[in-house]
Amino acid sequence: MPTIHDQIDEVLAAAVHNELTDDERRALHVHLVECAECRALHKEEQLMNKALGEIFTDEKPDFGFEKRMLYAFRRKAPPRASVAVFLVNLMRSRATQLAAAAILLLALFEMGRFLTGEEMSIPFFRESRLASPPMAMNGQAAATDLVTSGGASFFPDKQGDAFVEAGRKSDTERDHNQAQEAVRSKSELGSAASVQAYRAKEGSPATTDDKRGTPLTSGQPAALLARASSNVPATSASAATNAEEIGPSPSASAQPGPANRKLIRNARVDLEVRNFEEAVQQIGGFASEARGYIATSSSDKQENGKLRGEVVVKVLPENLDDFLEKLRGVGDLKNQTIGTDDVTKQYLDTDARLKNAQAMEQRLLEVLKRKSDDINDLLAVEKELGRVREQIEQMQGELKFMDTQAQFATVTIALAEKDMDVPAGFLLKERAQLALYAQDVEKSYNQIKALASPKIQITNATLDRDNAGRVSARISMLIAPEESDAVIAKVKALGRVDKFQLQTERVARGGQGMSEDAKTERDKVQLNVTIAREEQEAPLQQTTLRVRASSVSERAKELRNLAEKQNGRVRASSFARDPNGREFANVSLRVPMKNYGSLMQSLSALGKLENVSVHREERPDAQIDEANAPADISIQVYSQGKIVPDNTGVIATLRRTLAQGAAALMWSVQLIGVALAFLLPWLLPIALIIWGARLISRARASKRAR
Amino acid sequence: MDSADRDMFRAAIHGDREAFEMIIRTMSRPLFAIAFGILQNREEAEDVVQDAFVKAWKSRWRVREPEKLPGWISTIARHRAYDILRRRRTVPLDEQLQEFAAAGNGSESPDDERHRQVRSALATLPELYRSAVALRYLQNMDYATIEQTLGLSNGALRGILGRALASMRKRLKPALAAMI
Repeated sequence: MPTIHDQIDEVLAAAVHNELTDDERRALHVHLVECAECRALHKEEQLMNKALGEIFTDEKPDFGFEKRMLYAFRRKAPPRASVAVFLVNLMRSRATQLAAAAILLLALFEMGRFLTGEEMSIPFFRESRLASPPMAMNGQAAATDLVTSGGASFFPDKQGDAFVEAGRKSDTERDHNQAQEAVRSKSELGSAASVQAYRAKEGSPATTDDKRGTPLTSGQPAALLARASSNVPATSASAATNAEEIGPSPSASAQPGPANRKLIRNARVDLEVRNFEEAVQQIGGFASEARGYIATSSSDKQENGKLRGEVVVKVLPENLDDFLEKLRGVGDLKNQTIGTDDVTKQYLDTDARLKNAQAMEQRLLEVLKRKSDDINDLLAVEKELGRVREQIEQMQGELKFMDTQAQFATVTIALAEKDMDVPAGFLLKERAQLALYAQDVEKSYNQIKALASPKIQITNATLDRDNAGRVSARISMLIAPEESDAVIAKVKALGRVDKFQLQTERVARGGQGMSEDAKTERDKVQLNVTIAREEQEAPLQQTTLRVRASSVSERAKELRNLAEKQNGRVRASSFARDPNGREFANVSLRVPMKNYGSLMQSLSALGKLENVSVHREERPDAQIDEANAPADISIQVYSQGKIVPDNTGVIATLRRTLAQGAAALMWSVQLIGVALAFLLPWLLPIALIIWGARLISRARASKRAR
Repeated sequence: MDSADRDMFRAAIHGDREAFEMIIRTMSRPLFAIAFGILQNREEAEDVVQDAFVKAWKSRWRVREPEKLPGWISTIARHRAYDILRRRRTVPLDEQLQEFAAAGNGSESPDDERHRQVRSALATLPELYRSAVALRYLQNMDYATIEQTLGLSNGALRGILGRALASMRKRLKPALAAMI
């Protein structure tokens, strides 16, 4: 056992710290008395204890220490709104539960809609869709405004987009170059623009004068365009731009070129005239005024009597523009093209070659004059001479042709009389649909078939008989127009008419539109007849009623007799007796309308009439004779039961209520099942992710702690 | 440890902030003593205590048995203090203290001189010993509480404090001799 001396360090420390047991303290005191060394140590220990106490007293934390620690903790680890805590709190709130339920229902609804593919948009979606376009268009509208302010207001709306860029530029700089740019894009718009161009030319002679007089310098169109880009009215602006567009060709031709230039000018004009002959005469007059002539003229008569043709006029080139101007008076200008062909180079080439050939001819002639003896040489020279002369003639011809071409401008005028498309005639096509009810379908069918003759052609006839013995027939026929009314009347008489429809169509021949004097012809009438058995006819009036009587079977028999008396037929009847001792007889009758009233009167003799309901089918289009139209009457004759039926009373109500409750419960269970089926697949991965995240953070934390 | 304490610890482990704040109130001074014992610097010690609590709160779920919570928190504080100390090691504590002493050399009373010597002797002890000494002298805790706070086994503290004081005694022999 270790002595105190061995453990003196521990014991001394414990002694100064008052941690010795009584026994130990006594033992220490005994030992200290004995051991001087330990006594010294004990003294030192006490001194050191005092010193330590002193140095630590200064270091004790102040009073506010705990509070500081708490605040630091709250700052550094704020009560985190953890997702789980948040969710739990959220789940507790009633509003959240309701919202969740609503969302779930909506989700189910949407899912169902998605599955069934039913179309039903929720109103606010539609509204937002409607609301968005104007927002998107704002920028575009602003851009169009810029275009307008830039003087380019003559652009139609659709083209506005294309000129947004140009419009923007002209707004900032107001430079005619930009306007020109816009005009160039405008000219790409095609035929609509060119038609507008002619209207503009007619409307503003000033611009045409400009064009015909002194040739336009490059500055002039620019000036016009500059005017266009400032605030001149839209129409004159468009006139100016369009004039520029077609301007160059006439002005170029009017330019006085070198004297020896060979220019071939030609023009093509499409005109719509009131009268072809008059127009040709007028053109002839204009041609001679312009010192020209009508070269060729052709015409073509259309089916509707209108004329169409082409006139080729030769006029002196310098008079061409005047001539074209006059042509506008002849009729409506539809189209015009003017072209110039410069054949100067070709002409000069041919001329040079001609001169060469003529020189060659001279030399060959000289060779001949020398009178060579060799006959072969002579023949060769003769042959060559012939060839050269042929060439010369050909070239002279070409030159002459070019001369005449250049001498006269060719104007090809296509003429068409107004209302070219008016139809030559009309055809009235009639189609009739007739539905008949007949007592004997087959007989009527054969009767109609017997009508066939050259003027009445049967195109199709079918007779159907099904398993239940129902017979129906369909017949299609073509009837000559003059016979049609008589035949249709004859067919109608074969049975009761259910439906008759007559459709007339006016078909234009050789054109379209209206014509005042075109003839109208009647085409063959097509008649389609369907015949069905009378039994199948829907009743005009349906009546149901109940008769309470003591002896049901007797009354039923009486009922039959009554019906037969009134020319009616029993269509169906049944008799039943239920466990409560009640008897029912159901009888359904059909009588002609004319006998309906008297039958109803005699019925009241049978017993008390109850629950009378009358249903009448009004057919405004059908021309039926009402007196013979069928009226159906369903009569139930019944006797009073004695026992309270088991579908009324307290117990039955209770049973029904319970059953409905159980059904509702089952339905809600079903819904919950559906909801779970939707949610469960999501819960599993979410749980897995949370679990994994916790694992990772735990592992990281443990590593950090280590 | 009574059952009320254990309940408090358990509640704190389960995320009860109020319980944990109660623990902060009761344990911040002992923790300060531990950290101060290691670091010999009030500011740093305070920081260590704060950090230790925050860290303990964040990873409280790792404590399986509520009884071990105080020991665990003090372990965290000790580790934290060691970290700071290690970072600071480039300038050893002894030298710092000596510099401090040298700075105030001019007007130094005999008491101050003695305290400086005691401090430097304390600085030579292992960290755990220093913590134990600080708990004893700063908090006047009895051995059992210190053992519990530091997570030591029963009776281990006696040896530790014995050795600590003996070691210091040997270093301070001349100064102590002068005091007698």
